[in-house]
Amino acid sequence: MRNVLAIAWREVRTYFTSPLAYVVVGVFLMLSGWMFWASLVRFSSLCLQYGNNPYVFNQLNVNDMVVRPMFGSMAVIFLLLIPVVTMRLLAEERRTGTAELLFTCPITSGQVILGKYLGAAFLLAVMLGVTLSYPLLIMATSAKPDVGPTLVGYLGVLLLGLSFIAVGLLISAMTENQIVAAVGAFGALLMLWAIGWVADSATDTVAYRLNQVTFGLWDKLHLGLGGPTVGDLLNKLSVSEHLGDFRKGLLDTEHVVFYLSVVFFSLFMTQRIVESRRWRG
Amino acid sequence: MIEVAGVTKRYGERAAVDGIGFSVSQGEILGFLGPNGAGKTTTMRILTGYVPPTSGTARVAGFDVQEHPIEAKRRIGYLPEHPPLYTDMLVRPFLRFVATIRGVPGKDINARVDRAIERCGLAPVAGRLIGNLSKGFQQRVGLAQAILHEPDVLILDEPTVGLDPSQIRDIRQLIKSFAGAHTVILSTHILAEVTMTCNRVLIINEGRIAADETLEQLAARGGKTRRIALRLARPGDGVEGAIRAIPGVLSVIREGGQDGAFVVETEGTRDAREAIAQAAVTHGWGLLEMRPITLSLEDIFICIIQGEEAA
Repeated sequence: MRNVLAIAWREVRTYFTSPLAYVVVGVFLMLSGWMFWASLVRFSSLCLQYGNNPYVFNQLNVNDMVVRPMFGSMAVIFLLLIPVVTMRLLAEERRTGTAELLFTCPITSGQVILGKYLGAAFLLAVMLGVTLSYPLLIMATSAKPDVGPTLVGYLGVLLLGLSFIAVGLLISAMTENQIVAAVGAFGALLMLWAIGWVADSATDTVAYRLNQVTFGLWDKLHLGLGGPTVGDLLNKLSVSEHLGDFRKGLLDTEHVVFYLSVVFFSLFMTQRIVESRRWRG
Repeated sequence: MIEVAGVTKRYGERAAVDGIGFSVSQGEILGFLGPNGAGKTTTMRILTGYVPPTSGTARVAGFDVQEHPIEAKRRIGYLPEHPPLYTDMLVRPFLRFVATIRGVPGKDINARVDRAIERCGLAPVAGRLIGNLSKGFQQRVGLAQAILHEPDVLILDEPTVGLDPSQIRDIRQLIKSFAGAHTVILSTHILAEVTMTCNRVLIINEGRIAADETLEQLAARGGKTRRIALRLARPGDGVEGAIRAIPGVLSVIREGGQDGAFVVETEGTRDAREAIAQAAVTHGWGLLEMRPITLSLEDIFICIIQGEEAA
């Protein structure tokens, strides 16, 4: 644990002694702040407009109209910024030769990877931590958002960000080039984001497809042709779909497990790649 | 302290290291010598556990580097060819970081870092950014990170490459000061470095060990035959014949023609110099110069690399 923390701490120092952390956090705050302000302004003008129409006025809800879109825009900004945060993590170590220092020290590759992951996760926590001020600001006004759903939403974007970092770290382990790592991570994340978009048209069941590729053997074994459709399956893999319930304020273990699975799977694959690259020199 | 047996490393079809075996005992300074691309760096990377060997075993202080990597790595200090430095860190925090991941107990870290800074002469730059240091100081920081945890075994890959002569001298003195307490393996392609710092030499070529000897043994390789350089003021046509007639002389070669320079090769057990001088006087050649040619380590090295027996 001491080794993991030492590596994480060094990573954090590097972020904050270079302009990177300030640029990333600054851009994130500027964009998310602007978007939050825009929906807040819209909400307040609607409130003014319908102030004397109780039927409409009672339907205006600050959680739905301000807090929920805020998490959506944060997720989109993460999609663009997290590859920048993760691109140098392992790629840079390989390029400058410091990987040789880390992997000849009495520590395991798992500790190195976990340390780097936690270092980047710290930066994510800083970004999100500062944005806690947004809902706190409107707490002071008469439009009080519900605390529970807001916190659930924060948990959602935190988990989303953590899974993005794990994917970015995985891509960073595959190359020595930071640009390649960033573009690769961006592509992988966008793919995971959009993978569910064909869900509505992919109405064949998974079993039906399996029957096709096994030339009917599946059906002969009476494994059944019903069950979930291909679209359902793709939807379950989508990082954006799983955020929906968090934004609504619903805490469902299914989604928590999904994001944690992405994290564990990516970190595991990262460790395998780092080990196999040692064999190839 | 170090035992390497039958270590081979293949990259695809090419064997970077091919069945190397040697051992180093406590307190020795072993010079690892060979041309570029001979497999020095690969061998060192295998020893430090950075690269796993395709076959064979490497043990450090009794621990197999592959089976018990943590225990073995704890006892190794390693300076790779390119010092592995985080250029965006200050010297002292960097050393503190390395001390932590090298397993130095928390309460000892400050003392060890101070000691390494003092030994490597880093005090004037301890608060500076590593990226802004000169090559010589960067190399010292690299050396400092290797000795922080006071390892039993110190592995240095070309520690003096790219330094100026006075820096080279400082680094060599530093390495010499580690002898005794630490076992040192040092790779280089500069022969002078070996003669100045090491007590044993391992010459490696094309992934195989070409020679594993002490410096004395290596120097003695030149002793099987003797060669004498001769310069005469008035070399006549009969010179070669007359000298070859002297007992023990194997061959006489005229060098550069009119200059009157000859190289005489004799049996190693006989000294023909007196007889040659005598002949020069009786024939009136006008002996200007006569000196024994001893093979330099440089020549022996090149002979070994080219697979020839040193003559």
